[in-house]
Amino acid sequence: MKRLILLLAVFAALLAPAAASAHPLGNFTINRFSRVEVSGHRLYVLYVLDLAEIPTFQAGNIDARAYAHRIAQNVHLTVAGRPAPLVVLGRALAHPPGAGGLRTTRLEVVLAGPTIAGPARLAYHDANYADRIGWKEVVVGAHTPSRSDELRAYPKDMLSSPLDVTSTTAEVTPGSGPDRPPALSHGKLLEAPDRIADSGFASLVGRSHLSLLVILASLAAAMFWGAAHALSPGHGKTIVTAYLVGQRGTPKHAALLGLIVTATHTVGVFALGLVTLALSQFIVPDRLYPWLNLVSGLLVVGIGASVLRTRWRRRRHHHHHHHHEHPTSFRSLLAVGVSGGLLPCPSALVVLLAAISLHRVAFGLLLIVAFSAGLALSITGVGLAAVVARSAFRRATFEGRLVRLLPAASALVILAAGLAMTLRAVPKVS
Amino acid sequence: MRTRRLVFGGTAAGLTAVAILLGGALRGSPSARSAPVLSPPPASETTVAQVAKLQAELRANVDDVNALDALGLAYQQRARETGDPTYYTKSDEVLSRALRLAPRDLLATSGLGSLALSRHRFRVALALGRRAHTISPTTARNYGVIGDALVELGRYRAGFQAFDTMARLRPDVSSYSRVAHARVLIGDVRGAFSAWRLALEASLGQGETEAWTRVQISKTAFSVGRLGPALAQAQAALRAFPGYAPAYDALAWAEYGRGRLHAAIAAEQAAVDRIPLPQYVSVLGDLQRTAGLTADARRQYALIGVIQRLLVANGVDTDLETALFDVDHGIRPRASLALARRAQRERPSIDGDDVLAWALERTGHCREALGYSQRALRLGTRDALKLFHRGAIEQCLGHRTAARSWYRRALALNPRFSVLWAPVARRELR
Repeated sequence: MKRLILLLAVFAALLAPAAASAHPLGNFTINRFSRVEVSGHRLYVLYVLDLAEIPTFQAGNIDARAYAHRIAQNVHLTVAGRPAPLVVLGRALAHPPGAGGLRTTRLEVVLAGPTIAGPARLAYHDANYADRIGWKEVVVGAHTPSRSDELRAYPKDMLSSPLDVTSTTAEVTPGSGPDRPPALSHGKLLEAPDRIADSGFASLVGRSHLSLLVILASLAAAMFWGAAHALSPGHGKTIVTAYLVGQRGTPKHAALLGLIVTATHTVGVFALGLVTLALSQFIVPDRLYPWLNLVSGLLVVGIGASVLRTRWRRRRHHHHHHHHEHPTSFRSLLAVGVSGGLLPCPSALVVLLAAISLHRVAFGLLLIVAFSAGLALSITGVGLAAVVARSAFRRATFEGRLVRLLPAASALVILAAGLAMTLRAVPKVS
Repeated sequence: MRTRRLVFGGTAAGLTAVAILLGGALRGSPSARSAPVLSPPPASETTVAQVAKLQAELRANVDDVNALDALGLAYQQRARETGDPTYYTKSDEVLSRALRLAPRDLLATSGLGSLALSRHRFRVALALGRRAHTISPTTARNYGVIGDALVELGRYRAGFQAFDTMARLRPDVSSYSRVAHARVLIGDVRGAFSAWRLALEASLGQGETEAWTRVQISKTAFSVGRLGPALAQAQAALRAFPGYAPAYDALAWAEYGRGRLHAAIAAEQAAVDRIPLPQYVSVLGDLQRTAGLTADARRQYALIGVIQRLLVANGVDTDLETALFDVDHGIRPRASLALARRAQRERPSIDGDDVLAWALERTGHCREALGYSQRALRLGTRDALKLFHRGAIEQCLGHRTAARSWYRRALALNPRFSVLWAPVARRELR
């Protein structure tokens, strides 16, 4: 149990540094953004307020009018040293969904200031929510970029602190164009798309209530994630394709490959989980990955080399090419499948460990099997496409050199892919 | 040896063989903080400036392990100063990066250990502390991480041994405050105060560190009914580090102890306004309820529900503080008993034992409760709330005389030890 939790936390720390907290800046921040700009001869302020889950709840039912009014009173604008009052021109309020089924808040307010006749020096200070933590940003100019995209996307860079700017001074000159107040956003822009930090697959196991429907839906979702995950780079798609094309695989082979990938991935997740649990004092799981990468790389190199060697021999022995199928050996099929499923997906591991610590082992196992099945489905799909494409190719009229070269070419592709994987893995293994 | 006697002074009841020097994370402290992990920055260099400098250095050379270490630790200090958990995430990323670059890096390992302590992942902290210790057996701070984790896991003998070694290696603020806390745990309040004085002297002029030390002194003073010093230290903490939420919380307790309910509400509200931690919010609700502000109190209690939902959404379902809140307020008794059991398994310290004992009493499992209460009091800690819980358990078992004597002991320590329960104890004694 101890080690499980340890491992879980270490994993969370190493692999998913951005914990699944719905508001990217934490559940109790109050974030503020002001854009001071001149349009025509008039000064405007676009003020954005972003409340995370807890302050939203504390605020209760938000009266946007009262809020806008209070915001206007607590921002202080001086032009050429003289205080300039700001008047509320418009506002927009939305409650983007946050964590735990809770709401967050985004309020945009357009404030109108005085007109200026010529160049003027302005000073701006935002005194709203002075004590509360959160992102505080002030920019001057209609086209000045905002580091948070006006509180829509907070930088997650580990080398930057949350911005803490509440005051600014600037020289401004009236524009030549017409006087147009800044626009309020609406639709998706108002609903702040950056709200839900990544939770995805790993959040499934933590569902608080498990009804049959929830379980089925979770399994379907896990499968979907597995399928989507397989489409990200480096899950042996190239290798599977090259192999099936080169070895004249049949749909049956493609299906078998899928099965092997599922089994390998499931077993791999369990094995890596158990190994790191047992050896957690000595091994940081993070450091196992380069080794696994290396092993799969070498495995693929081995497959490529063996296929190439077989081809070479056959070319020497039968000069006339013919169509009788060389039985695709189960051993090499196994090797290809293993290389595709060997690398356990980190989120699958996190799910396993979370499941154990939540005492939902069976559910966790099911989720991982579903995830692996999804993974395999994608790979089988790719494999089938390769098989179909190849047979179409074969039926085409231009039989001959190209087709005869295919097996050797595919072996070279596999070999190259394996070498690339190995070379990439080697420097990380230390 | 001389140092040892010097720091000891008191007797270690029931733990005679063990040198009791240091204590770790404090009950109810928001971020079970280990003593400051940074060597105190020179007075001229604030944490903000230090962070900015290190960020700039790292932007020039992102692989500078020493700078990564320093920045990771500085982020943790910022998290303590602001209460903003985003800094923990950043610290995690920076230190993990350092560890990837240099897997046997000492500061990154122990830094991740103290981070785990802050996040209440005590088993992780223990493993990381031990790993740091194997890397460098003579570094004092590793013993701090190990000892803090052991103490929170209820392994006091081993924890105090670690502290003993640590203090022999390096007597400083971190060691003195652990000495003090360990003495509080074994009920040696006088000895604790003398150690706190040393810690305070060593922390003067260090902003947040001084404020933190003063808050601890204030709480120790409150726990034994010394309300004058409790108030003075809380106020001094606010002077040392203005706006410090834990200081407002300590101030609220001191004011409550002096019977100034409305001053207490104002102070706790200030703490909640800065950081809405569940323990602050629940105290605020209790204070408001006592003052007859039922509607306000209900809002605070509802806010706790929201915070719990967020914790669950973030994968935390074993929080001791929220378990205590549920048990105290009779919320879903069966579920809260299960929660308390989980929390106690995660954190089998005297605090975990006490909350579980209390949850068992509230649900009528008084015989089982007695065992956990005995465990909770096994160190001889003079904690009025734990004594009161024991009284209630004895009463539930029909031991009237014993119950009255426990209630009397609790009230003798501090007639207002708890907003909710001190009045109950008084009523029972009538």
